[in-house]
Amino acid sequence: MLRFCGWLEQIPWIVTVTNSAALISLVWLVHYLGFFLLVGTTAFVDLRVLGAAARNQKLAPLAGLLLPMAWTGLGMVIASGFIMFAGQATTFYPTEVFRMKMGIVLLALVFGLIVQRRLPAWDRAPYVPAGAKWLAFASLALWIGAILAGLEVPAFIPGI
Amino acid sequence: MHTWLVGICERLQNIPLVVWLVTAQYAYPFIQWTHFTGLSLWLATTLALDCRLLGAGKRFQTAAQLSDALFSWNWLGLGIAVLGGFTLFSTAAVGYIDNPAFRLKLGVLLPLALAWHIFVQRKSRTWGRTPETPRVAKLAGLLEIALWVAVATAAVWIPNY
Repeated sequence: MLRFCGWLEQIPWIVTVTNSAALISLVWLVHYLGFFLLVGTTAFVDLRVLGAAARNQKLAPLAGLLLPMAWTGLGMVIASGFIMFAGQATTFYPTEVFRMKMGIVLLALVFGLIVQRRLPAWDRAPYVPAGAKWLAFASLALWIGAILAGLEVPAFIPGI
Repeated sequence: MHTWLVGICERLQNIPLVVWLVTAQYAYPFIQWTHFTGLSLWLATTLALDCRLLGAGKRFQTAAQLSDALFSWNWLGLGIAVLGGFTLFSTAAVGYIDNPAFRLKLGVLLPLALAWHIFVQRKSRTWGRTPETPRVAKLAGLLEIALWVAVATAAVWIPNY
């Protein structure tokens, strides 16, 4: 795997992007904006399920509007995240905190998908079931945890 | 004026709590975390309304309904972002006030984007009564997206100085 990481780092266009202050800043910008879209919209839907936001509005229309933005954000995060990872793959790959971040993000995505799939059923019920609130709470906590884990990565890897 | 500002920033940087935040290992990401959590809520709820004004998801809700749903958490998000942002600023205030990207962000782009957001949010009640929004609403939404992308670009550029 480390050999593969080493190969990633040597890809010419990855080298060009990583060594250009303007291009790598653009990649960071896309990563941040994508993450804000992904986490913010997902968190808002979770807050609605928990009864802490927009209680006077139905769940499904709100989610129908917000969740496509979350998926757009995810696409931006994956594309930019791959470039950021590839540029310093041999440094990122063996680092525990980076693996922890990826684990939390994957878990948050799984919970996000479960919430999204069950939303129409919860909307038809006379009240949001307790299980739904636990799922939404887990999703919210995982996404907020993912932000912290993402910010801890540079703290544990000097020079990133 | 500049000397006076530097003096205030120096005093801010030397507040014992701020000194502790800078010197304590791994404390700094927690301040960034507050800023980024607030920003996620603020930007996502702001850009969602802009996208709706542009015509996205018109079969789900009107822009007025969406604006009403997002309003409280939109401003709560900004409050959290400002709290985290001010704390981040206080950890290196003297350096920040002379950083051209920071000055552009805080002095020009952020006030402009905020004022435009307040205008768009207020007008969305009128523009967003029907599923189809008027052309002026679409232009206003597009301009707001451009303004916030400009704010974020300036923010990302800060470490390059």
